[in-house]
Amino acid sequence: MVIDSLAGIGRFGVFSWSVATRVVTPYWEIDETARHTWEVASRCAMPVVAVVFPFGMVMALQGLSIFDLFGAQRLLSSLVSVAVFRELSPVLASTLVAAQGGSAFAAELGAMRISEELDATEIMAIDSLRTHVVPRFMAAVIAAPALNVIGCLAGITGGYVTAVWVKGQPSATYWDNLWELTHPADIYGGTFKALVFGVLIGLIACYQGYHATGGAAGVGKAVNDTVVISITTFIIVNYFLTSAMFGAITN
Amino acid sequence: MVTALARIGDFGLFCVRVGRSTFRHRPPIARSIEEAYHIGFRSLPILLVISAFVGTNLALQGYNAFVPLGGQRLVGMFIALAGVRELAPIMVASMVAAKAGTEMASQIAVMRIQEQIDALEVMAIDPHWYLVVPRFVGICLVLPALTMISIFTLVLASYLVSVYQLGLNGPEFIQLASATTRPVDLWYCVLKAFAFGIVICLVSCYYGFTTRPGPSGVGRATNAAVVVSAVVCSLLNYVMSEILFG
Repeated sequence: MVIDSLAGIGRFGVFSWSVATRVVTPYWEIDETARHTWEVASRCAMPVVAVVFPFGMVMALQGLSIFDLFGAQRLLSSLVSVAVFRELSPVLASTLVAAQGGSAFAAELGAMRISEELDATEIMAIDSLRTHVVPRFMAAVIAAPALNVIGCLAGITGGYVTAVWVKGQPSATYWDNLWELTHPADIYGGTFKALVFGVLIGLIACYQGYHATGGAAGVGKAVNDTVVISITTFIIVNYFLTSAMFGAITN
Repeated sequence: MVTALARIGDFGLFCVRVGRSTFRHRPPIARSIEEAYHIGFRSLPILLVISAFVGTNLALQGYNAFVPLGGQRLVGMFIALAGVRELAPIMVASMVAAKAGTEMASQIAVMRIQEQIDALEVMAIDPHWYLVVPRFVGICLVLPALTMISIFTLVLASYLVSVYQLGLNGPEFIQLASATTRPVDLWYCVLKAFAFGIVICLVSCYYGFTTRPGPSGVGRATNAAVVVSAVVCSLLNYVMSEILFG
């Protein structure tokens, strides 16, 4: 049990190193990378909007009930922007990249593994990591920050809809305080987080698919494990990133 | 467009069939309890980890948002509003969708492509009753309990961060958090959990039943199950919050 999990961590380390060395050395499968990136980004874009938008609305709804106590409703947009830019958008966009992109990568690579297509590629002296894994890994790394930007816009708009249309706050105050109180560092920080989460998702998804065993049920298990393990990992990493980056900004 | 409408109609029929099977026959009690145990037990460790770390981040960001106002004492209140009312139920729902929901979808999808569901029908066993109803009853039993555990973990973790990392006053945190959370709020969380459980179970089982053949079909069904249930739950979350707390 303990030995098994240690061996798994070691295999994952070796896998990550092999992927990393292929990312920095030619030859790059640019077309494949672009195709996978586009596929992930286009499949996640609508779900990201559909999830972050209501979260922005909910943040504004509950935030108002706090700021009502101070009579400081005008500061609402700064709470929404902090919550959305720093936490909600990177985390939720990455969750959906894991659920859509990561699980699709694990399913595709797992299906290739159990139908022995990956072995066939190796026999033809084609590096399967370079042709099949690296483009998918890079797709997750590129798509997560890009979707984070979409998520930020959706979240802020969601907050606006609740604050201005539903609760009747003045619209100009919302935008003015948003531009005034949001540090550029909030946006860079959130995007950097999404980038780190994308790296984790890409590695975990490709590892699970590449090492899938046991038929159709095994592919289902690899897909399932991908979503769960990558989300847990990046939520834990998120705490340390938040403490390191945003703790320093305020102090 | 037409196919999307057809899918929605098909899903509606599926829900009607599940509903009818739930009430027409006695639900299989033993299997329901077994499913409840599986769903709860398998999701619990990961749920504890995620609740704890969402709690820590909520405290950190709440602190950062209120420092400009000099209102950092209100972190406890922020946790009670944002964490207890909103994040805990939806977070539990998305993790159960990611863990138990995908498991339901992939198990049923594998049964479908190996023609085990057809075999059930040949034996005159209603597959909705045998496969979906226990999962449905199980998830409805266990999701409110998981939500309560998650709320407890989240508040505990944010308390620890507030007091030991941010240096806030502990008793004041507890006092503000418990003054803000009315008992009825917890019941609303239970209500939300029920609604999310129903959505997750029906969506995941539906995608499992209608899978396309082959390993990639199973992967695709599993994938669609988690995304669709997460999206539907977060939309539903806003509507329920607006009605219950608005």
